[in-house]
Amino acid sequence: MNLMADILLNVTVAFFVGSILLGLQRKVMARIQMRPGPPIIQHMLHTLKFFIKETVFPRTAAMPFYVAITIILCAIWVAAVIIGPVTHGPLLLLFAIFAIHKIVEHNAGSSSGSPYGKLSCVRAVFSAAAELPLFAVLIIVFIQTGTMDLNGIIAYQAEHGALLFTLPLTAMIFIVLIISKSYYYSPLNITLARDIVSGFETEHFGTLRGFIMISEAIAWYMLLWIFLTVFLGALTPIEYLIAMVILTAIVGLINAVTPILNPNHSVMTEVTLAFIGIVGSLLMIFFL
Amino acid sequence: MDQLKTVSWIIFIVSAAAILYALILNPASWIVYTISLVFIPLFILSLGLISMARGKKEDEEDKIKEPFIGY
Repeated sequence: MNLMADILLNVTVAFFVGSILLGLQRKVMARIQMRPGPPIIQHMLHTLKFFIKETVFPRTAAMPFYVAITIILCAIWVAAVIIGPVTHGPLLLLFAIFAIHKIVEHNAGSSSGSPYGKLSCVRAVFSAAAELPLFAVLIIVFIQTGTMDLNGIIAYQAEHGALLFTLPLTAMIFIVLIISKSYYYSPLNITLARDIVSGFETEHFGTLRGFIMISEAIAWYMLLWIFLTVFLGALTPIEYLIAMVILTAIVGLINAVTPILNPNHSVMTEVTLAFIGIVGSLLMIFFL
Repeated sequence: MDQLKTVSWIIFIVSAAAILYALILNPASWIVYTISLVFIPLFILSLGLISMARGKKEDEEDKIKEPFIGY
């Protein structure tokens, strides 16, 4: 297939599937809380609605950075689609994208004039310590497979079986990471916690909010895609879809029944779980 | 047509042309990656800025002044 067509197809699939999955997460949460909840396509409807809403640029916003940061957010997730499903490139670059995402959270908050955005910006810096699980997964997978290339990791699993069963604690660390990046009422996502309204997105509304939501749908799809590829190997599109639905439902369940932690507790929880996962995984690699 | 609309149309046309160029002429991979990273986000944003609703000119000042006006 033509490379550009391949990229466009994968970006479109990532957006639609990611949007539906985020809608599903809200539905699961609502059902657990005995509410009917919004329709599953609600996230997509919101995205499209915001996209055509009136947008003005607040006087307090730092222009042009206020707009540019939304473009950067979209660009990094398009890059993730290229590195992931399109080329099966190096895992290291995918993790670099998560690090840049943290910078985007920080700058989106600071470029707006909203006090909520600025508080979220401070929290983005604070929660950088919680990126420890990210590096832990990277290092442990490298120690086990001897490669950071996605094609190499898939080939390793075809020969030795899924990493989910040989490195269960590393998979657990990644699940913590997924929960911390989940969009709706995550107990660990302190930058978007509802006590600061919409966090770094508060002052981005209308078209810019719709644009951010497109990037977030792609981000959610990619997060699940990376987990499935790194820990289960190559799957068929239907298997990817089923596994993504299951993972999203699990995250929805956790988010529905867990209170939102304050920033200190959130970071400490992530770091503690990462520590347990790292030590446990290394013991399993070297002694089992 | 105001300045924002004009700039949005220019970005929209340039990004659509760049994407079509990569689709039809199939250039080297690095050119396709560059076009994807730069012009796909710009295409989406410009589409939004073109299609978004516009409020009354006289109300604009109040909306710009107020920090956190919601969404």
